[in-house]
Amino acid sequence: MSVVHRVRLPRDASPLVEVGHRVEPAEVLATRRAPRGGAAIPVALPLRKSAADAARFFTVRPGTLLDAGAVLAEDERGHQVRVVEACLFLGYDRDDGSALVAPLSGSEPILGHVRGEVVALDADAIELRVAGALVAGIGGSGGAVHGELRVAVREPAEELRAGMIDIGATGRIVVGGSRASAETLTRARAMGVSGIVLGGILDKELRDFETTQQRRREIGGVRGDFSVLLLEGFGKVGFDPGLFAWFKSHEGKVASLFGDEARLYVYDADPPPARRSLPRPGDRVIAHRRPHAGQGGELVRVLDRLHASASGVVARAGLVRFEDGHTAIVPLSNLEATEPLPGG
Amino acid sequence: MAVSAEMALLIDVGSAWAKASVIGRVRGRWRLVAHAAQPTSWGATMLRSALVDQLTASADPRLAEHLDDLLAGANRIECHTARRLARLAIVAVSREISGSAARRAAEAAGWHVAEVVTLDDGRSLSDRLATLQAADVDAWLICGGFDGTRSPRALEAAAHVASARRSGGGPVVWAGVADLAGEVADLFEPDALTTVASPRPDARRDEPAPLRTRLGELLREIVTTEDHAHLASVAFPRAIGALAAASGLRILGVDIGARSATRALAETNGTVASRVHARGGLSGTVLVPGAAGRVARIAGDAGDEAAVADLLQTLRARPSTLPQTPEELSGTQAAARVQLGSLLEEGAVGPLDVVIGAGRTFAAAPHPAQAARMLLDGLRPIGITQLAVDAASVLGPLGSLDDDEIREGIALLGEDLLVPLGTAVVCRGGEPGRLAMRVTVHRPGWPILNPIEVRTGQLHVVALPRGQEAELIVEPAEGVNLGAARRSPRILANATGGSVGLILDARGIPIALPRRSDDRREVLAGWRDVLQREAAAGSERVA
Repeated sequence: MSVVHRVRLPRDASPLVEVGHRVEPAEVLATRRAPRGGAAIPVALPLRKSAADAARFFTVRPGTLLDAGAVLAEDERGHQVRVVEACLFLGYDRDDGSALVAPLSGSEPILGHVRGEVVALDADAIELRVAGALVAGIGGSGGAVHGELRVAVREPAEELRAGMIDIGATGRIVVGGSRASAETLTRARAMGVSGIVLGGILDKELRDFETTQQRRREIGGVRGDFSVLLLEGFGKVGFDPGLFAWFKSHEGKVASLFGDEARLYVYDADPPPARRSLPRPGDRVIAHRRPHAGQGGELVRVLDRLHASASGVVARAGLVRFEDGHTAIVPLSNLEATEPLPGG
Repeated sequence: MAVSAEMALLIDVGSAWAKASVIGRVRGRWRLVAHAAQPTSWGATMLRSALVDQLTASADPRLAEHLDDLLAGANRIECHTARRLARLAIVAVSREISGSAARRAAEAAGWHVAEVVTLDDGRSLSDRLATLQAADVDAWLICGGFDGTRSPRALEAAAHVASARRSGGGPVVWAGVADLAGEVADLFEPDALTTVASPRPDARRDEPAPLRTRLGELLREIVTTEDHAHLASVAFPRAIGALAAASGLRILGVDIGARSATRALAETNGTVASRVHARGGLSGTVLVPGAAGRVARIAGDAGDEAAVADLLQTLRARPSTLPQTPEELSGTQAAARVQLGSLLEEGAVGPLDVVIGAGRTFAAAPHPAQAARMLLDGLRPIGITQLAVDAASVLGPLGSLDDDEIREGIALLGEDLLVPLGTAVVCRGGEPGRLAMRVTVHRPGWPILNPIEVRTGQLHVVALPRGQEAELIVEPAEGVNLGAARRSPRILANATGGSVGLILDARGIPIALPRRSDDRREVLAGWRDVLQREAAAGSERVA
C-alpha cells in the first residue's frame, strides 16, 4: 500500500532531489534563503537626491530578491546604491529616503518529514510516494515529527495519564486512549516524546496546552517539535477498538505525524480499518456523538421508521449493540461502519 | 401499460446534508408530497430510496412498483453548495482598522480567509513573510492607508505580497490608497492587479460595499467554474427576492449551512442584497472569538464552557452528524443563534415584514418554537415580523430556475412553500420589570381579550394557529419603541398565525441576561418553556 505526500515549496526554493530519489524523514529535499528581520539602506543620501526624487532611480521593484552586491538604485550620472548582502527588497520610504530590505538567511533546509520516493517535482511542490498507511484524524496540533509507534494504554477507552509517559517514550509517537490532560501533554513534551495519537481530547485542554507552548516558544523555551493527533472526537472519546488493535499490531513501526494537518503515515504498514458512512446491518460501527461517542459495536438492524432521539431530532436510526453489552438506538448519520482487520 | 405521474424533484445538495422534496399533482393541485434529508455522503440512490418509501405509503397503489422509475425520470430542479472553498490571503497595514475591514468584506463575499498578515500583528518580518510564502491561496487582497495620504506602510504591505506570491500565483486586489494604485500595479505582472476603493477610507468611515462587490465578482471568475445559477448561495437569494416581489413584503432570508451562511434581504420590489459568510455556518462557530463561552451562556442548558467547546469542535469535524442529547441540541441551536447574530454585525436591517430561516438546523428543529427562538434571539427583528421556516428546503432549488419559473413555482407550491411559525412583536428599550408594551389582540369571531401587559424582560405567547389572523393594537410604554418613528401612541397591525403563535417579546435588543448563572439559567428556561408549551386555544403563556 502507498500514499502520496505533498511538500509545498516556498517561492525561490531550490530543490535538491529529482524524481525517483528515495528520501528519509530527516532528509533535506530543498533549500531556501528565508528573509530575516528588516533593515534600512540609505538611498537618497548616496545619490545626493531629495528623498522624493530618489524614488525614480530604483532599478528593481519591491518584492525582488537581490544577490549580495546587486544594484538597488542608479541615477542618471551612474551613481549606484548596492546591497551588501543578499536580501529581499520590500519598499522605499519617500520621507526619509531609505529602502527597507530583509536580508536573507543562510541556506535553510526544507524537510519532507516522510520516508518515500519522489514521484513529482515542480516549482510549487515535491510529491513523495510513501510506502505505508495513512491514518487521517479530525484534528490536531503541531508540526511534523517522526518516531516509532508506542502504545501506552491497555484499553481503547483508557485515559492516557502523565504516569504512563516514561523514558521509554522519548523520541516515540505515543498512542494513547480516550483523553490526555494538558498536564500529560506537558509531561510528554518534557520527556522528549515526538507526538501523541489520541482517540479524544477536551478542546479546552488542547487549547490550554497550545497556549502554554506558544508562550514558551515566544520566550525561546521550546521548539516546535511535538505534535498531537486526534482521531475520533472532542471530549473523552475512546478509540475505535478495531483501530486500536491495528495500532497494537503495528507497535514499533516508524511513523510520521503531522498534527496541524491531522495526518499520520505509518511505514510498511497494512491499511488501517477502513471507514464508511451509511452502515448496513451486521456492520461493525463506531458512534460519533454523545452519549455514545467513541463506542464501537454492531449495527443489529435499521429501524423501518424514522426515530426521535432524546434530543427530539428525528432521523433514520438503527439499533446498535455496543461492545460493553448495552444496546441503543442511534441515528445512522452518527455511525460509521468500520471494516474488520484481516483475520480479526 | 405505461404509467406516468406529474411530479418534480427539488434537490438541495449541501456540503454536509442533501435535501430532496417531491412535488406532485394531487387532485389538480401541486403539493409537496414527500421530503427526505440525509448526509450528502450517502449518495443519490439512498436519497431516492427514502423518497420512494415515503411515497409508497401515500401514493396511488397502482404507482407503487413504478415510483423509483418515476422519480428517476422526474424533472430535477437542483441547487448545490460550491464544491470547494475559495481561499484568500489578506495583507493589511493594521489589524484593527484595515485588516478587520478587509476580513469582514472578504468573508461577507464568500471567501475563506486562509491567512491574515498585518504589519502590526506582533510577528517578526521574517515570520510574516514565511507565513505568506507558505500560503496556498486562490487570490490576494492588500489593504491599508487612508485616502488623501501617501502610506509607505501600505506599499510595504504590497511588497510583502510581491515577495511571497509567484508570478501567475492568483489575482491581487488592491483596496488601499487610490493614489498608490499605479505603484502597486508595478509590483506584479501585467493584469494581475485590480484596484478597488478602500473599505476604510479614513479612521471613522467603513465603506465595504465596493470591495465586497469586487471580491464577489472575483469569486465567480476564478473559483466558481460550476453553473452559477445552481449555486445555493445565488439561488436562495433569488427565491427570497421573488417571494418579496410576489408578496410585496420586505423579507430577510437566512440560510445557515454546515460550512457557510447566506443572508438575503429583499425589498418589496424584489431587489435583493445578499451576502455569503464563508465561516457563517455551524462549523464556523468554533472560530468566533469566545464562542464556547457565549454559546454556554445563551444556551443555559448545554453544559459548561468546556463541554460546549467540544461540541463546537464536533460540529466542525463531523458536520453531518446530529445532536442526540438535549444538551447538544441546545448547544447547537445556541451556536446557530451566535452565527445569526454575526450575519447582522455590519448593521441593522431595519423593520422587516417576514424573516425566513433555512438550513438543517431550522428544518430539523424538533419543535417549531426552537426554530422561532433561533430566529428571534439570533436576529432580534425589531417591530412586527412574521417568522417562517423553509422546512422542506425548496427555496434554493426554486431559486435556480429562470425568473418566470421561480414566480410560477412559488405560486404553485402556495402554502406548502414555507412553514409559518407565527408573528413576533419585538420591542426595544424600557426599564427592567416595568411595563414595556400593552397589546390588544382581536381575532375575528373570538371574544375580545383584555389587553396583555408585557414587562421589559418578558416573553408572552398567544395562541394563533396557522391560517388565522389577528388585529393588534400595540401601545409601547415611554422609552420603548418598535423600530420605527410613530406619531400615535398606538400602533395598529395585523398578525398571522403559525405553529408557535403570536410572540410578544420585550426582552430588549440585545437580550439582557442576568449575570448570576443560576438566575440566567432560570430565566432562559422560562423563555424556552413559554415558547414550547402547548397552549390551549386562546390562552396566554408568559415568562
